[in-house]
Amino acid sequence: MSEAVETTVEEQDIDLTGANQILDKYTDFPGALMPVLQEIQEFYGYIPEPTVHLAAERLNIYTSQIYGVLTFYAQFHLEPRGKYIIRVCMGTACHVKGATRIGDTIKDRLGVGHAETTEDLKFTAEYVACIGACGMAPVIMVNDATYGSLTVQKTDEVIKKYQQMD
Amino acid sequence: MVNLTIDGKQVTVSKTATIYEAAKEVGISIPVLCYAKKLMPYGACRFCLVQVEQMKGRLIPACTTPVSEGMVVTTISDEIKKVRKTVMEFLLVNHVLDCPVCDKGGECDLQDLAYELESTSNRFEGEKFDLPTDEVNPLIERNMNRCVLCGRCARVCDEVVGYGSYSFINRGFETKIATAYDRGLSCEFCGQCVSMCPVGAILPRPFKFKARPWQLKEVDSVCGYCGNGCTLTLGVLNNKVETIRFNDKIGVNDGNLCVRGRFGYSYVNHDERLTKPLLRKDGELVEAEWDEALQVVADGLANAQKGQGAGILSGARLTNEELFVLKQFAKTLGTQNLDHSGGECYKGVTEGLKETIGISASTGTFPQIEKANVILAIRSDFYETHPVVGMVVNQAIRRNEAKLLVLADKRGKLSKLPGAKTLLTKPGLELDILNAMARVLLDEGLAQTEGVDGIADLQAALANFSPAQVAERTGVSAEQLQAAARQLAGAKNSAILMAYGLPYQGLNKELATAAANLALLAGIPGREGSGLYLCGEKANSQGAIDLGILPQGNGMGAQAMFTAAAAGQLDALYVVGEDPLSSYPDRDRIAKALDKVPFLVVQDLFLSPTAQQADVVLPATSFAEKDGTFTNAERRIQRVRRGISSPGQARADGAILTALAGKLGSSLAFTGPAAIFAEIGKAVPAYATCSFNEIGPQGVVWGGESLQPASRKVVAVAGGSEVEGDFRLVTGSALYHSGTVSTKAKGPMAVLAEPYVELSREDAKALKVADGDLLKVAGNGVELKLKAKVGNRLPKGVLFAPYHFAEAQVNRLYKGEAVIAVKVSK
Repeated sequence: MSEAVETTVEEQDIDLTGANQILDKYTDFPGALMPVLQEIQEFYGYIPEPTVHLAAERLNIYTSQIYGVLTFYAQFHLEPRGKYIIRVCMGTACHVKGATRIGDTIKDRLGVGHAETTEDLKFTAEYVACIGACGMAPVIMVNDATYGSLTVQKTDEVIKKYQQMD
Repeated sequence: MVNLTIDGKQVTVSKTATIYEAAKEVGISIPVLCYAKKLMPYGACRFCLVQVEQMKGRLIPACTTPVSEGMVVTTISDEIKKVRKTVMEFLLVNHVLDCPVCDKGGECDLQDLAYELESTSNRFEGEKFDLPTDEVNPLIERNMNRCVLCGRCARVCDEVVGYGSYSFINRGFETKIATAYDRGLSCEFCGQCVSMCPVGAILPRPFKFKARPWQLKEVDSVCGYCGNGCTLTLGVLNNKVETIRFNDKIGVNDGNLCVRGRFGYSYVNHDERLTKPLLRKDGELVEAEWDEALQVVADGLANAQKGQGAGILSGARLTNEELFVLKQFAKTLGTQNLDHSGGECYKGVTEGLKETIGISASTGTFPQIEKANVILAIRSDFYETHPVVGMVVNQAIRRNEAKLLVLADKRGKLSKLPGAKTLLTKPGLELDILNAMARVLLDEGLAQTEGVDGIADLQAALANFSPAQVAERTGVSAEQLQAAARQLAGAKNSAILMAYGLPYQGLNKELATAAANLALLAGIPGREGSGLYLCGEKANSQGAIDLGILPQGNGMGAQAMFTAAAAGQLDALYVVGEDPLSSYPDRDRIAKALDKVPFLVVQDLFLSPTAQQADVVLPATSFAEKDGTFTNAERRIQRVRRGISSPGQARADGAILTALAGKLGSSLAFTGPAAIFAEIGKAVPAYATCSFNEIGPQGVVWGGESLQPASRKVVAVAGGSEVEGDFRLVTGSALYHSGTVSTKAKGPMAVLAEPYVELSREDAKALKVADGDLLKVAGNGVELKLKAKVGNRLPKGVLFAPYHFAEAQVNRLYKGEAVIAVKVSK
């Protein structure tokens, strides 16, 4: 159990319009929880707590049960995530070709290790098992773009490119 | 039925039974951790694995596997033992084994099972958790290091309570039981999870380090709060009620309790309990001896009788025997002014039901509600008034797919149950919906009119209650109320539920009559499996009605007595176990009456606001200190048993009354509950079916499981009238309290300590108020300040305030109306 705290939910400043619109589509739709949560995550980038309470109320599912689902699946994120998700492949091929060094470089330049997000919410690093591009090892993905045959220098270039973007 | 063989024994059981249940039937016990009688089969712990001849190759969980014809089951063998022992080893890998300081020690299923399996060593080693204990609330402590992940807490909270506090979170080894966002527990604190936990992971905090289970004396009694009549097994040590023990073997509640029952016992031990009589001398209440106090009371009442007369007012938490003596005492004193519970709220039963079905009681019993196919709940949320009936409704829905219709002016917990249809009406107009539903049955030929009197008159009176007209007035669509009426009439078994009591003022007789009309047309009263339930607020509300604690002859009722007293036309008032100043409507008038009445005697547990005005205060005893019977809202007469002795010189109400009668020269004696129960039988035939000592663990239901109506007459009732105004206030009961006594109990007060006024988010936004802000609520010429509680239960423009808190004086706002117009400002 995490630090037991009083349960008054702090009103987070979250615009619930998006979540409400998603829920509108699923009114009286049994078994809607997974798609609702996935769409909420797509909309907000993560699953903000107020949207969970809203979904509980509107779908008539206990908040505790939704929380159970959210913590069961690795796909759901309860904390805000960066605009750019850097997936660092740690599969066998990448590992042999020095994936650890790539991870360390990212940590050094951006200050984020596995499952961490930069304070400006621009980058989130994630170490993943294998992204299926072993021929390009070591490899990372930034959102949907893949960057292979990386060296420390090449990794720096990729990071710089995204730092200069919005 | 299905025949099978278990360990060589032939068993015949119903085809819905599981192997575990079948084995139990023939006295073979299979070890279980996750199984609980009241919960759906789950199969989490794997202790109940057995061999089935027909399912070779693997072991079969007995608790989830249904029986089949010819099954040959072996429940114990070397292989099974080995597997069970391995399961135990797995569980003990991360169990903390802090048994010496665990309150569960001595009644822990895991401990007992490990002992039984002789689990002395463990082949596996693993990480132990070091999770902090949840001690945020004062009632329930959770130590998840002791958890065995059986899921019983999460399941009972869902399947029975309908609250859903817990869920499994995370995955694999990290899996644990937690609340949403893994925070401290914040719920209704009924403690059902406490009673279900097989280990020491969820414990009652007030009981921590108080006693080892085997040191406790267990006394089976009946809860003193609401009309549900739950069995309470008091855990007593050194003349103190230390805890309420889990007991699902006897009574109507299947071991289920609410926060009042499980944690509300502490008022019994409260240090503000009255322990000596108090006499007013020179304007001050000072302690006095019993003899002196009794003499003053006897003289005062006798003098009053010589003048304009005395009146007697009782609460509905006295035992039947005490109420009987009270009635005898009124006779001795020579007064016909006798009443209970404010004199109005019970009229739904004594007048509404009496005029229609000819009896003043519910027609069915609570266990039948679980079997009902359609349940209609009117006005109050049973989860708030009779929480354990609420749980029965939940089980009816989840286990037997009952359809629930909620007719109310606000949403409650019932509205959230799966598939519940809420007919959300404007406040005070439930009557119109009931009338419209009756009309739908008549118009569509769905009504059972044979043998029912008054049909033509009713038909004529319902001219203005077409679904369309009523939809317009109430806001409930015509289709919705038509569907509800058809559903109710078409069901095999139906139940109509309505609670009454001091929290619900106004329209009681009318609502009960309309409900009875509908019930008669749907053929409900007297039909096996169906029932019309009017459930009283207090533990012995039904007993008070059965025994006729009502105005005698031309005597005055409660309201008339207060009117007379306020006008200087009543010379004495004797109030027993009631706090009218806090709980009766129109507090200002009550205050005036108490001020004006020349002689006021109050007999109670505490120096209540009413008692503070008294000339004499007599200390009485709580339910835990007396023997006798209560009759619950389904007519079940149950034994109340004394667990502890009374504090100081407090005396039982019956003993006080007979002592007083003695002072008046009467020979009325408290000859003991058994003898008086026999006397009751002579006066009230329904109570003559058994003797006091024949009342068994399940009690005795007078009139039988399905009480036949004495008459079948529909009586026309006018509709409600809409109250105009920006805001309309309704009062009622809050889930955590019952009457005013629970405000002296630590448990309920820990959960809900303050009065409040509840409003919708929409209204809160418009008024710019947040949860906890002070709101000015003005109506009937009175302005009160109440804390705002913002939620999604109430429709726009409707406010709700619970009536339990004396200091809030909410009863100044209402004067007996069901709904009042109020103005609200910040």
